[in-house]
Amino acid sequence: MENASVPSVDNIRFDGSARTRWRLGFDRVIGWLLPLLFLVAILPILSLVYYVSARALPTLSWTVLTSTSPYRTDALGVPIIGTFEVMLLATLLAVLFGLFGGIATAEFLSDRVAGWVRMSANLLVGTPSIIIGYFGYFTFVLYFGWGLSYIAGVFTLSFFMTPYVFRTADLAFTSVPRHIREAALGSGAKPSQYILKVGTPIAFPQILTGVFLAMAIGVGETAPIVLTTQPGVLVPQTVYSPVTFLTQLIWENFAQSQSSGLQVLAFQAAFLIMVVVIALNIVVRLISSRYRKRLEGLYA
Amino acid sequence: MSGEASSPSANGPVLAVRGLTVTAAKRKILDGVTLDFPPRSLTAVVGPSGCGKTTFVRTLNRMVELTPGLRVEGHVDYVGQNIYGPGVNPVLVRRRIGMVFQRPTVFPMSIFENAAFGLRLIHEPEEVVDRAVTEALVRAGLWDEVKQDLDRSALSLSGGQQQRLCIARALAVNPRVLLLDEPTSALDPAATQRVESTMERLKQDIVLVLVTHNVSQAARVSDRVAFLHSGRLIEVGPTADVLERPKDPLTEQFITGRFA
Ligand SMILES: Nc1ncnc2c1ncn2[C@@H]1O[C@H](COP(=O)(O)OP(=O)(O)O)[C@@H](O)[C@H]1O
Ligand SMILES: [Mg+2]
Repeated sequence: MENASVPSVDNIRFDGSARTRWRLGFDRVIGWLLPLLFLVAILPILSLVYYVSARALPTLSWTVLTSTSPYRTDALGVPIIGTFEVMLLATLLAVLFGLFGGIATAEFLSDRVAGWVRMSANLLVGTPSIIIGYFGYFTFVLYFGWGLSYIAGVFTLSFFMTPYVFRTADLAFTSVPRHIREAALGSGAKPSQYILKVGTPIAFPQILTGVFLAMAIGVGETAPIVLTTQPGVLVPQTVYSPVTFLTQLIWENFAQSQSSGLQVLAFQAAFLIMVVVIALNIVVRLISSRYRKRLEGLYA
Repeated sequence: MSGEASSPSANGPVLAVRGLTVTAAKRKILDGVTLDFPPRSLTAVVGPSGCGKTTFVRTLNRMVELTPGLRVEGHVDYVGQNIYGPGVNPVLVRRRIGMVFQRPTVFPMSIFENAAFGLRLIHEPEEVVDRAVTEALVRAGLWDEVKQDLDRSALSLSGGQQQRLCIARALAVNPRVLLLDEPTSALDPAATQRVESTMERLKQDIVLVLVTHNVSQAARVSDRVAFLHSGRLIEVGPTADVLERPKDPLTEQFITGRFA
């Protein structure tokens, strides 16, 4: 280019040079291509939803969902209750440990120590669940001597879910605007008062999102449960009882059996998990958009 | 109101800063600042950007310690009690000496609860809180605008109203000192004017320390000007004296630079 300076306004042609036209055209192509790629990406998901629903829905009835009779092989009552109970307890534990750990890391630990803790949490999130399953097996089943049991499953699953809650709690508290945090501490709030009165209301929606996502991930997990519990035909009676998880049923019925009735049951279990996961994701959406509106202006 | 030091003579300084030095990794951000704040005064702390104004006000209620890595030497006497003395709890200091920042820092709660924040921290009974909140909102010049909807979220207020709510929050604990770090730098002229008239009213009964980079603001509202440069206090005196007849060439350069 011999003249490097910007052309004066009167010399600019608004229909553009050939190169400019080519670039704008390229932009248009990308504009068409992206939605197309999105469709390609979402198509497998839609077909999966269809595939599962088509096999699960025709025979899905209220009895299938609610019967806990040990003599029926076409009912999901026992694994539904098992999944619900295990999820409830595992979520409680994960929230307890994840929340305290996340707040401690964000508010109290020195940057160096916090860095190590965060790295460990990231490692745990990236760890294949089968390894967490084996960890639970060796720790809770063997070392603690709980055997293949309800409680071993709860602890292993909560161990799997905790880092997700931890990460969002940590992130939520570290991303409270610095000037808001300083203003609270500068008014003489003790760290605990800051956390309860100012930090939590701001961090809450993000933490809740993390909890729901951890639940969505946890409810679809198989390995941590399969390796630490044994399936039972009854609703768990004690903490050492057998317990059936929905994913476990899919694993047993689908991968291990050829009976078409059991396979339909597996599809019905899969359908339920799908619904729960989708519902959890929708709840997450609703919460975050709702709270974003409420906290609008805080980050201005 | 527990733990208040016995009040010395009525005309002694409310805040007395002695040999205040703040060091960050060997670099002195503040260098031996000595300065008194008499009762019922508004002192404008002026100086070029980066001269240490923010650091200075943050030493006055020990907020400076929220930034790791800064070392503070010297002392600050609040009504005769050194707030850097042994055994002094910085949390208790901050409950008595409030600060208002460059940007409004309202919390995501109602207007009432924002104003009541400092009182809740010390568990004041409800009737005390009610009275103190009203009084603080009146003193901050916000009462007429918000008395109808104290339960509304404070985030719904305009920037200028939010800033006056922050002033009310600091006033609610009935402090003898209010620190303001460029409180109008994020506000439009009309909102600035409101905050300035609030400050002019407040200086009738408490000590205001106003950091500003805006010399004409200092001229409008302050009775004393302290000029900081590279962490050193170059000059302090009545506003008219410092702005019209500066003794130090650095002060003169700064003022004329701004006015020119
Ligand atoms: N935490 C810190 N560590 C190191 N240097 C700092 C720190 N905080 C402020 N400073 C430095 O101290 C000087 C004064 O800062 P500040 O008090 O914010 O000035 P002002 O408010 O007058 O603009 C600046 O040069 C700044 O870079
Ligand atoms: Mg500053």
